Amino acid sequence: MKALSLPAQKRHEALVGYLFIAPYLVLFVAFVLVPVVWGYFISLHNWHVLGDQKPFVGFANYRALLRDDLFGIALLNTGYFALLTVIPGNVVSLLLALGLNARIRAENVYKAVFYLPVILSVAVVAIIWRWMYSTEFGLLNYYLKLLWQMFNLPGEFQPVPWLNSPQSAMPSLALMSIWWGAGGNMLIYLAGLRGIPEEYYEAARIDGASTWGRFWHITLPLLRPSLLFCLVMSLIGSSQVFGQSYILTGGGPHYSTLTVVLYMYQTGFSLYRMGYACAVAYVMFVIVLGFTLLQFRLLSARGEE
Amino acid sequence: MRISFVRVILYLLMTVGALLFLMPVAWMLVMSILPESEIFQPVPHWIPQEPTLQNFRELFKRAEEAPVMRWFWNSLFVAGTGTFTYLLLSSMAAYAFSRLDFPGRNVLFFVVLSTLIIPGQVTIIPVFLILQKLHWFNTYYALIVPGLAGAFGVFLLRQFFLTIPREMEEAALIDGCGRAGIYWRIILPLSKPALATLAIFSFLGGWNDFMLPLIATNEIEMRTLPVGLTIFLGRYSMQYGLVMATAVIATLPVLVMFLLFQRHIIRGVVLTGLKG
Amino acid sequence: MSRLCRLLGLMMVAGALLLAGCSPRSNLRSDPNAEIRFWNGFTGPDGATMEKIVKQFERETGIRVKMQIIPWGTYYDKLVLSLAYGDAPDVFICHANRIAEFARYGVFRPLDDLIAADRGFRVDDILPNIWQAGQYDGKQVGLPLDCHPQGLYYNLKLFREAGIVDAQGNPKPPETWDEFLETARKLTVDKDGDGRPDQWGFAFTWLRTNWITFISQHGGSILSEDLRRAALNQPPAVRATQQMCDIIFQHRVAPKPEGFDSWMGFRQGRVAMAIEGIYMLSSVEEQKGLEYAGAPVPSFGPKRAVWGGSHMLCMPKGISPQRAEQVWRFIRYLSDHSLDWAEGGQVPVRRSLLNEPRFRRMRVQHAFAKQLPYVVFEPASHKSTEIMPFYDAAIEAALLGIRTPQDALNEAARRIQQVLDRP
Repeated sequence: MKALSLPAQKRHEALVGYLFIAPYLVLFVAFVLVPVVWGYFISLHNWHVLGDQKPFVGFANYRALLRDDLFGIALLNTGYFALLTVIPGNVVSLLLALGLNARIRAENVYKAVFYLPVILSVAVVAIIWRWMYSTEFGLLNYYLKLLWQMFNLPGEFQPVPWLNSPQSAMPSLALMSIWWGAGGNMLIYLAGLRGIPEEYYEAARIDGASTWGRFWHITLPLLRPSLLFCLVMSLIGSSQVFGQSYILTGGGPHYSTLTVVLYMYQTGFSLYRMGYACAVAYVMFVIVLGFTLLQFRLLSARGEE
Repeated sequence: MRISFVRVILYLLMTVGALLFLMPVAWMLVMSILPESEIFQPVPHWIPQEPTLQNFRELFKRAEEAPVMRWFWNSLFVAGTGTFTYLLLSSMAAYAFSRLDFPGRNVLFFVVLSTLIIPGQVTIIPVFLILQKLHWFNTYYALIVPGLAGAFGVFLLRQFFLTIPREMEEAALIDGCGRAGIYWRIILPLSKPALATLAIFSFLGGWNDFMLPLIATNEIEMRTLPVGLTIFLGRYSMQYGLVMATAVIATLPVLVMFLLFQRHIIRGVVLTGLKG
Repeated sequence: MSRLCRLLGLMMVAGALLLAGCSPRSNLRSDPNAEIRFWNGFTGPDGATMEKIVKQFERETGIRVKMQIIPWGTYYDKLVLSLAYGDAPDVFICHANRIAEFARYGVFRPLDDLIAADRGFRVDDILPNIWQAGQYDGKQVGLPLDCHPQGLYYNLKLFREAGIVDAQGNPKPPETWDEFLETARKLTVDKDGDGRPDQWGFAFTWLRTNWITFISQHGGSILSEDLRRAALNQPPAVRATQQMCDIIFQHRVAPKPEGFDSWMGFRQGRVAMAIEGIYMLSSVEEQKGLEYAGAPVPSFGPKRAVWGGSHMLCMPKGISPQRAEQVWRFIRYLSDHSLDWAEGGQVPVRRSLLNEPRFRRMRVQHAFAKQLPYVVFEPASHKSTEIMPFYDAAIEAALLGIRTPQDALNEAARRIQQVLDRP
């Protein structure tokens, strides 16, 4: 290789650099950057796929969203789903992690079992749980009935309608989603727990702190970064819930499981009103962005302590 | 004595929990080998009286209306090719971002990085329209290429590359090895753990993805297993043995992968914050 | 450097591969010798019937037709995308209730000039109310191949057992509301005395279309005549919905439409009467041991009306003139042979065919065909598909007893109005 002068070398390095990022960058521009900008552009139009003209309508789609009953329902339902999954789901993950952290035998087996559902596709999960939730033949109602009889509860056991009633459909989807996802956060909590130095507990034990006291005053505060991370990530994840209701309930019964992304999907890909669907997507984006900024703030607040 | 009592309770709770977590998956496996007569029973047949592969055989017979093997192949091809290409493109970009100096590098990296916070669903409609414009709808390109643009791989690999000491590269550079040589001969071999982690999650992600195949295809032959499964669910809602057999086919590869690479996966979750 | 070159080469190959996938597909081919592409959703026995007619057409004219059957569940999704992004078929089926939705975007090639040029084709032979359903904005965009009205299916054996027969001893289907109620009462039987009937006199099958029949008979409609206002919460429609609820809750001659497969119930003889479309004929034909007959829907209200649908034959915009003429020959041929088509469980819409002895022998089709003059379609609004889920939900809520008819319909009306008001 001939020795190059410094500027030439720099130029050469820059050229190589561009060549290296070029293939990725082309795809990044085509399938991330352009869609983000174009999506906003579309949301300002009355954009039906069959329309020759796609007239510019300004913020009319967004204004219509404000008055749209179903969008309101979808927002509320999504919030309800988040409420039902984020806190209970993280409690489950944390409990599992605490159990795993108690130096039990065959820890890896337990860990694998709890994590297993995470690797399944939402379609597989939905198919399994559709059967679990079957009113007549489902395992859940079968074992609930057994428990009912075992504890001699009063009256006859009434099968739970799970996915078939507007009251229980969303909680059913939430239960399924907790089962599906708990293992992921569990691992993060476990790593967090393992990162807490043993000396802290020793010191507390010498001070005579109870198990509960140690959990409350040592474990929880020191787990704060993991907690924050998992809570916000769950929140972001649950605000995008789609597959569960798309496959299992189609948004029903009586709109009880219509979520924001499902509404976007239906508007965009059943009615082909792309402009309106993009407006839905952008409102969702703003909400998720809010959660993300919240996370940054919380995390940086921790840094200042 | 008290301590051991607590531990008994602990083991009891953990075991009950593990059984509850296992139950749905185990039931799927059992149901796939139950004959139809044993499926609709008031008492679940955990131990089949007459285990059968009839459901799987039936699947092949129905290849015309529900080409499960084709879906399997599609999923495998899409996840496999996607993973390979994703690793290649991401690592190249990450190498440039971490080792090469060029004007605009930091701005570009910031732009790429900041798109990590954008949920995929936000862009799904424009992506669909772009696929139409490219005439990629109902092709493998549509199933693979949009997934390659994700910024996560670049971000993860760049972080990893930055931890690799520069001395070796400098020695290689002096020996007359080009940039490409360094990337291929030094950086990539040293990054095997990170690449492996990324490969596993990328494959799982590709295999399990639902939204993109749903909107990028509508020919039954071009569906992947997860989307094909839902078609199945709509059409054979009463033949649950068949549906479960398909679900098993959709699960086995990732299950095997999970058992083989369990440690990797579990470490990867902690490392990346990805949940699979 | 050479390695870099190799890498670059690899990338270029990859890029070329990507571009290869980009080659634009030609849209409507103008080659007059190419086959006609015909899309429909006839997945059942009707598909085989259509196949036969198509084969016959190919033999007689030498024009080749490639028919593609796409299940109705995904049919319109594929059709919309093919019309929007190219690759559209040369001729396709569009249901009457979706004509406006598509026509609004100008995707059809109007047929008026082809009809005018074809001297042998008599427009007045086609029933006017159904002919008009193929029009949008004064243009004929679809040619009705058939009509599929609802009618009353009834179980002959159960009628005989209950002694509901005329003077000749033949089972007698009800014609008025009072007769219907009396018949249904007699046919609702609780054999084992557990308080739950094991045999129902009647059952609602497809709620949406059953409901449209009821409200139309009471003079109600989903939208106002100008298609701008929701009308389904007006007194006539509410009265009709209440009547449907009464059949379930007050007279108890029909099961709640929940966890009960009504049509299967009819097929298996657990339901004595059901109102369903003529397209269900093949499904009762294949049911072994079922003795059935068809009759016009009884009068539940002051007006004569019954829900119906129609398969319209349409051409896409942009089709070349020669091709359009070929396709017209094909469309014309299908219409001329709609008696063959009727065999598969359809009703022809040409008056000349309705009186043929051959059609009289298709008993159920013939019975249902009497209702053609007063068939009611879903509103011809371009938002017809979009507002459907709202009244579906309202009907379900009312018939399950979750909401009162007035409440449920008010809610639906409010949401439908939102949709209508939107540009």
